[in-house]
Amino acid sequence: MNRQEFMKRLEELLQDISENEREEALQYYNDYLDDAGAENEAQIIEELGSPEQVARTIKAGMSDADGEYTETGYADSRFQEHQNLTPKDTAAGEPSGKQRKQPNFWKILSIILLCILLLPVIIPLGCIALGLILLVVFGIAGMAVGAVALCIAFLITGVVLIGYGIWRIFFTPALGLCLSGVGCLLLAVGILVTLLVVAVGIKLVPWLIRAIVKLISFPLRKAGVIA
Amino acid sequence: MVFNTGAALLDAIVLAVVSMDEDGTYGYKITQDVRQAIDISESTLYPVLRRLQRDGCLEVYDREFGGRNRRYYKITEAGLAQLNLYRAEWERYSNRITKIFTGRHAE
Repeated sequence: MNRQEFMKRLEELLQDISENEREEALQYYNDYLDDAGAENEAQIIEELGSPEQVARTIKAGMSDADGEYTETGYADSRFQEHQNLTPKDTAAGEPSGKQRKQPNFWKILSIILLCILLLPVIIPLGCIALGLILLVVFGIAGMAVGAVALCIAFLITGVVLIGYGIWRIFFTPALGLCLSGVGCLLLAVGILVTLLVVAVGIKLVPWLIRAIVKLISFPLRKAGVIA
Repeated sequence: MVFNTGAALLDAIVLAVVSMDEDGTYGYKITQDVRQAIDISESTLYPVLRRLQRDGCLEVYDREFGGRNRRYYKITEAGLAQLNLYRAEWERYSNRITKIFTGRHAE
């Protein structure tokens, strides 16, 4: 961009401020480029940045300046702000904004259409998936019930055998000792298994709930329904 | 630079730079002079000069130079008063900071 183009664009961009302010700003930058000398012109224009940036600085200075010149880095924050703002004002900024929205819209529409078309397939598949989930849930629940029943069985059998064995000692000491010994063994195994089941249950149940929630929310999240 | 230059400090530097020339000075030279002290972009100074002008701290006039009219900035009475205020304030501020940095405690 040469000097003529730069000044012309700057003048266009300053159309919405008063003539007095516009003349003042244009004179300043004309002077500035004159004083910098023709040999430095390209470099100065480069350093000034785009006419849009310069115009924004001019306008920002006109609206009561106190807000603009904060303690948080005068030149730096200003420059960053401009970089962030640039796409909003330039012509190139608009289509990119629209383009970003369109694929999302088409994506959702195509997903909906696909869902309608595949309805005859989706429903049986959904039933199968539901059945599988139920199977897993009930299977695990069954296993849990089984494990608890096993523990109870061990514990009760152990206690009963110990009791019976001790009673039996009075009649046939050898058999009684043997029975109560087996009872102790069963009780010990029962306690161990109970501890194991409780430990597994504490770990497994929350993990299982999380896994199921994740499984159900996964297709929804993929479609962008849940952010 | 590591340290940021706030609005007041930039105003003070610009006023000081302009006040060095009795007959006033022009935009390009002001920018170059300010840049000896702090790192600012080319487009930063115009809004500052314009605001100082609106606040009555600077006045402008055009003078011919090399076959064209060049705009000059000159400090006003109000601008000088403001600059003296800034100078006094800077003196106190920088002294306090220096005392802390050099480890000498304020008495």
